[in-house]
Amino acid sequence: MKKVRRKIGKYEVGRTIGEGTFAKVKFARNSETGESVAIKVMAKTTILQHRMVEQIKREISIMKIVRHPNIVRLHEVLASQTKIYIILEFVMGGELYDKIVQLGKLSENESRHYFQQLIDAVDHCHRKGVYHRDLKPENLLLDAYGNLKVSDFGLSALTKQGADLLHTTCGTPNYVAPEVLSNRGYDGAAADVWSCGVILYVLMAGYLPFEEADLPTLYRRINAAEFVCPFWFSADTKSFIQKILDPNPKTRVKIEEIRKDPWFKKNYFPVKLGEDEQVNLDDVRAVFDDIEDQYVSERSEITEGGPLIMNAFEMIALSQGLNLSPLFDRHQDYVKRQTRFVSRKPAKVIISSIEAVAESMGLKVHSRNYKVRLEGVSANRVGQFAVVLEVFEVAPSLFMVDVRKATGDTFDYHKFYKNFCGKLGNIIWRPAGTMPNSNLRKQMTL
Amino acid sequence: MGCYCSTSKKTEAQGYEEPTVLASVTPCEYHDPSLNVTVSEVEALHELYKKLSNSIIEDGLIHREEFQLALFRNKNKKNLFADRIFDLFDLKRNGVIEFGEFVRSLGVFHPNAALEDKITFAFRLYDLRQTGFIEREELKEMVLALLHESDLELSDDMIETIVDKTFSDADINGDGRIDQDEWKAFVSKHPSLIKNMTLPYLKDITLAFPSFVTGTDIEESEM
Repeated sequence: MKKVRRKIGKYEVGRTIGEGTFAKVKFARNSETGESVAIKVMAKTTILQHRMVEQIKREISIMKIVRHPNIVRLHEVLASQTKIYIILEFVMGGELYDKIVQLGKLSENESRHYFQQLIDAVDHCHRKGVYHRDLKPENLLLDAYGNLKVSDFGLSALTKQGADLLHTTCGTPNYVAPEVLSNRGYDGAAADVWSCGVILYVLMAGYLPFEEADLPTLYRRINAAEFVCPFWFSADTKSFIQKILDPNPKTRVKIEEIRKDPWFKKNYFPVKLGEDEQVNLDDVRAVFDDIEDQYVSERSEITEGGPLIMNAFEMIALSQGLNLSPLFDRHQDYVKRQTRFVSRKPAKVIISSIEAVAESMGLKVHSRNYKVRLEGVSANRVGQFAVVLEVFEVAPSLFMVDVRKATGDTFDYHKFYKNFCGKLGNIIWRPAGTMPNSNLRKQMTL
Repeated sequence: MGCYCSTSKKTEAQGYEEPTVLASVTPCEYHDPSLNVTVSEVEALHELYKKLSNSIIEDGLIHREEFQLALFRNKNKKNLFADRIFDLFDLKRNGVIEFGEFVRSLGVFHPNAALEDKITFAFRLYDLRQTGFIEREELKEMVLALLHESDLELSDDMIETIVDKTFSDADINGDGRIDQDEWKAFVSKHPSLIKNMTLPYLKDITLAFPSFVTGTDIEESEM
């Protein structure tokens, strides 16, 4: 059968692995290096309609800037005439959220390990003036080795020069700092610290510290930092979490203080950062400044397969004697004889011969995957008729062509079939001796 | 006493069984024999059965010629596979298909019938000499029958190649024949093998004979 292999530039595109409001995420492979990637595909028209150009440009630039082992890496950005492609690191292990749902809660040591990686990633962002502001377990991925990867900077924003307080309320209520909810200006760094604290609580407890059916009560409890630690939290853990979930952002523990805390430092191995390389944003500018000569090529390569292979039992199943439908359908058109022939020509030659003969008979031809549909007007001009032919491989270099009436008069069909097969003579195989014609016999010998 | 049918003027043929009894052995979505849809299905099959069984010999039994006439519109048209189906439907092996046999055998073809039963029926169908195995020669005979039916001629070498290829795929233990477990595994790999084992009509059969269904007068007390 035909196989379609889609390529975007040097990436071979596979299955869809995620779908959101504005983007589809596809698995792909770099055909030059063999590396797995995820491609976020966005339609340009959608981006323009929703006035998201600046937001997406910002998101992409940020992901290029914040390069860290615990942050999903953005490799590059490409554009075609109609689409923007964001090439991301493929993270194999799924969401941390799924792990919590599956296991109920994690051990203190395991929770601490993830928390350490989370703090490393967030600290790295903050040093570059980037705040996540929508930290939650669903945005935390795990790679094949169980390492944490922070993703989805959709709500991040670069700090403007001198403006350290932001007025945008955003994020999921359960994980959001009280000052964010109250819609006063807030410090992005302090807000992220609070979210990290909620995440740590969820990892160790298996449920949220603040969870209410109605929003006003939820907001009141968050503003008051009204939560209870379960009995299995150690005294040190309780003390640590209480420092983070301090409703006052000014007195809330800061990241550098978290790093010094004995709870945090236990079994902590600082991550090795690569050399702070110069970030090239040329591809981002090219995409968003609509520079056409840098459009990526999109193409579909068709890998030719063969016709369906038919085994002996599948042949037998074609028998009219095994079709009990006539018992029930008294008005069924009765085709007196089965219509099929065999050929030893290559399957492609069979198809092209069928197409050529059909066209010479004035029929409309539709071909796909070794199946051909022919349509035409019946001999008496009264109605339409349609015929379907399908090629099956029954043995190496031996093909059976099944011919069936799809619509139209049975009598017309049989006249057509006889005429059609007469014209196809050169590809239809018959045993030697059946035809006296020497030319035909010579063809049989080949 | 059974169900009274206003359209029927003759006594029931030999082998007639209560529709409610037959319904309980006919697979369908509702297994409660008291439900109308089940009884209606059997009643509709009975109407069909009467047409078939009286088409040549008016004795209320389906003879081989009547079966061939129904399938091929030709009572003299021989077909290896139709013969095999007739033999399998003829549970009492007395040369005719009685109504009870008809309903029970068609039950395998119901869309809701167990897949296992369809696979087993197909295996018995292809086991031409009832040895408990599908032998290589039996498969070859069936391929030849299909080719003959289609007015196709292949050389013996070609036929051997086709049979060999299929056997190498299906005969897992290589003993030269296909047993029931090998058959089950083979059908799992090629589900289209049993596509003929399902008749969608059996779900809609009461629509095919609406005049009969409306004519049914089932006493409430008998439900």
